Amino acid sequence: MEMLSYLVDALSPFNLVLAVAGVTLGTIIGALPGLSATMAVAILVPFTFAMSPASGLIALGAIYTGAIYGGAFAAILVNTPGTPSSISTTFDGYPMAKRGDGGLAVTLATIASVIGGLVGALTLLLLAPPLSGVALMFGPPEYFWLAVLGLTLISALSAGNTVKGLIGGCIGLLMSAVGVAVVGGDVRYTLDTQFLLGGIDITSAIIGLYCIPVVIDLVATRAGHLTVLDDKGGFRLRESMRILLGGKLNLLRSSSIGTVIGMLPGAGGSIAGLIAYSEARRSSRNPERFGTGEPAGVIATESSNNATVGGGFIPTLVLGIPGTPPDAIILGALLVQGLKIGPSLFNEQGGIVYTFMYGLLIATVLMLPIGLLLGRYAYRSIVRIPKSLLVPTVAFLTVVGSFAIHSNPEDTKMMVLLGVVAWVLQRYGFSPSPIVLGLVLGQIAEQGFVQAWMIGNATGSTAAMFFGRPISLAIVVFAVLTLVWPLLRKLWRRGPKATERTDLVVEPAAQAPAQYRDTPAIAWGIAFAALAWAAYGETADMTPMGAVFPGAISTMLGLLSLLLIGTQVRRPARPASATPEAGGSMPRRVALVAVIAAWAMLMPVVGFFTTGLTAFLAIIAIATFDRLDARTAAIYAFTGLLVVGSFQVLMDGVLGLRMPMGWLY
Amino acid sequence: MKNSKRSKSIIGLALGVAAAATFAFGTASAAGYPEKSIDYIIPFNAGGESDVSARFQQSVFKDVSGVEVVIQYMAGAGGAQAWSKLNSLPGDGYTVMGINLPHTVLQPMQKDVGYQTDELTPVHYFHYTPDAIFVHADSDFKTLKDLVDYAKKNPGMLTFSGSGSNSSNNLAQVRFDELAGIKTTYIPFSGTGPAVTAVLGKQTVAGFNYAPSGIAHAGKMRMLAVASEARMPAFPDVPTFRELGYDIVGGAFRGVAVPKSTPEAVRQQLSDIISKINANPAFKKKMEDGGFVLTDVGYQDMPKFMAEKKKEYAALAEKLGIKKQ
Repeated sequence: MEMLSYLVDALSPFNLVLAVAGVTLGTIIGALPGLSATMAVAILVPFTFAMSPASGLIALGAIYTGAIYGGAFAAILVNTPGTPSSISTTFDGYPMAKRGDGGLAVTLATIASVIGGLVGALTLLLLAPPLSGVALMFGPPEYFWLAVLGLTLISALSAGNTVKGLIGGCIGLLMSAVGVAVVGGDVRYTLDTQFLLGGIDITSAIIGLYCIPVVIDLVATRAGHLTVLDDKGGFRLRESMRILLGGKLNLLRSSSIGTVIGMLPGAGGSIAGLIAYSEARRSSRNPERFGTGEPAGVIATESSNNATVGGGFIPTLVLGIPGTPPDAIILGALLVQGLKIGPSLFNEQGGIVYTFMYGLLIATVLMLPIGLLLGRYAYRSIVRIPKSLLVPTVAFLTVVGSFAIHSNPEDTKMMVLLGVVAWVLQRYGFSPSPIVLGLVLGQIAEQGFVQAWMIGNATGSTAAMFFGRPISLAIVVFAVLTLVWPLLRKLWRRGPKATERTDLVVEPAAQAPAQYRDTPAIAWGIAFAALAWAAYGETADMTPMGAVFPGAISTMLGLLSLLLIGTQVRRPARPASATPEAGGSMPRRVALVAVIAAWAMLMPVVGFFTTGLTAFLAIIAIATFDRLDARTAAIYAFTGLLVVGSFQVLMDGVLGLRMPMGWLY
Repeated sequence: MKNSKRSKSIIGLALGVAAAATFAFGTASAAGYPEKSIDYIIPFNAGGESDVSARFQQSVFKDVSGVEVVIQYMAGAGGAQAWSKLNSLPGDGYTVMGINLPHTVLQPMQKDVGYQTDELTPVHYFHYTPDAIFVHADSDFKTLKDLVDYAKKNPGMLTFSGSGSNSSNNLAQVRFDELAGIKTTYIPFSGTGPAVTAVLGKQTVAGFNYAPSGIAHAGKMRMLAVASEARMPAFPDVPTFRELGYDIVGGAFRGVAVPKSTPEAVRQQLSDIISKINANPAFKKKMEDGGFVLTDVGYQDMPKFMAEKKKEYAALAEKLGIKKQ
């Protein structure tokens, strides 16, 4: 009965308004790349001081879960995860949108997010105290292996191109080592700049690696951004429900993975999404469809990342150990409110805790109507907006988003640089996803490895540390399964006779129809080998603690580069010159990159508003293929003013970010 | 610059206005300080002790000074990202920044971080979180003596989790090793949270963490000794290191700094506001209950305080082997 009264409290008009507002605001913030769930929660904290603790928590929980969900919009519609939690939503969500199934993908993401969120929140409501111990069972070796499990996804993502994928992964891992090392305090790969001391920011790197190539190619052709089939313009709710019912197991598995990973203080939504995606692919009957627009991939990622919200609150509320970064802020807010965290919270302050949990459930359910409404709007705008406006808007979002994370213009420059590099690499078969995986998982892998190694060394049990712990072993088994499952499956299907085909194991790329020499790949191989050599050379000046990880990775990168060169040199030369030429207008691409680069460089000097508006107008010109009449041109220019101006107000006035003023404005 | 901007609509954002605003702040008068809300930049991510203690200040700031503070974050490179930019911010008293010790002494010592210790202007160090040794509540080690005896019999086997390399935790562990004549292994984690989780999960034998963790995880960890000068009100039963014969007093100090261009009068006024907040009974109770030790190092006392701290950290840094890379 008591429980029922908490539910009634959670349903009070004020709390409902908070939940609706929180989810709406969160979804919008999450959908904008660079504005993350953590930021959304941090902004709201001061407002909650004026509310009762339960209402404050509901508002924070609602904005948090909304932001994690909103990340899917950008991932599906412009191939850029709105928050790092949606990285693997891009793998299939964007291909779906490309082929005209964007509406379906958004609906699937919405329903999957709601179900994942409900699983997480119900687990929190019903099982929080008994499950909280899971957070403590994961030590350094477990985190290390978890990161390795995430990295095994590289092999799946780069099927047919494994060596290039692994090279990308190594580059991402090396990028994660840039800056001051947490373990050992070494200063690594900063090229003697102060900017790189803080490392390469993951979110701005993701924006660059995923979004800039999309924008560059968008500007090159006249064709629309997304295909829309006339008869499939709607939201296809019925079709979505059928797909979801068919993927019940996937939904349940991914939600459980998300809940458990949410409970781990060292992991988070991005890792949950990656691992759920990897598991969904492994257990799918059609793994080869993953990465080409398979709805199950979107379902897996989106259900698991929203499940981390409820899961993360478990150790936060029971143990006072934040499960995810936004939880850390919420925990701080609770301390300021004078609440004592811990098991006693559930007894003495049961009213607050249970009202909040019901509030979180309600907010999660509200995500369905709010998400479908916002999603419909977002999808339609992206589809209908003329290219002349879409390109500058998306470009503007990359600049704004990369800047907003730390109010640091250097992050924007890094974003542009990485984006251009990613575009070039993509032309030669190096996709950005392995780099992102390496970058996201690198620090967890390194810290886990070095800490486990130090503890093992001190206690004389290094081997037992890595291979003698049950959870570690279980994760290792999963990692090995992920790697060999595709091979096993193939052997299975072909029957025992096929086992003599050993070439399958060595070089999957050999199956590709083109057996000709890939000359640019040799050049890239040489470049990466040189990079590996330089990176290895730098480790000489580091402490053993700081050197072990970059040393191992650069060695691996070197070997892989040599392997790439070796396999390519042995192949016959391509008969006619059929090198992949980038279709579309190269001058427009170059002009666009030049404008964005100048924008990033001048923003801190000249000012945010002035450069934003100027660049916006310049990109309108670059992205316009037909002559504009005066009226349309005026409308476009005004839209630019509106977009840039409203972001200025949002970031400066609402989010309280420090904006670069420069000598103009 | 930021606050004046807020009140203006986008249309009014002509160049002249911005330029005028820039000049206006150059001559900010100290007479009515503070007249409008103050931006308080935390050089770390939200959720850590720097953030929480600033949020505590925020909750009473208006009562004491009549204006609000707006907390912003500028995390990166262990705080260096923000501190290296401090002096380029407007020196009008409306942009202030959190500042930490030993960070701002040790960082410039080991690498070029874009600032020197003496280029920063702390106006008030308002509290510190003492280093403390924790073990899991189930641990066989009941006292510090048990721990030291174990370490003497098993050199290197005693593992301490702590927050980061070359941090206050790390310095305290080095000093403890030296004073007790033992050899222990320090395992750096990416922050207080993960370091304490390692103790709670029994990943390490013990932890060299900060005292507030003893509040957050009361009943699950045992605090064996604390590096405060006197026993802390929140932990009346926990002996200090000094009581046990080890001369270790210290921890992470947190304060408020201003850009170099801030007028003397404003520095003093800000320092007075922070002192008043420290004297606020509600604030004091919250902080002490939270395991923070209030200090009242105002602007006047700063030169002496900094000289002492720099000397202390320099000696320890040498033992840690910190040198410029």
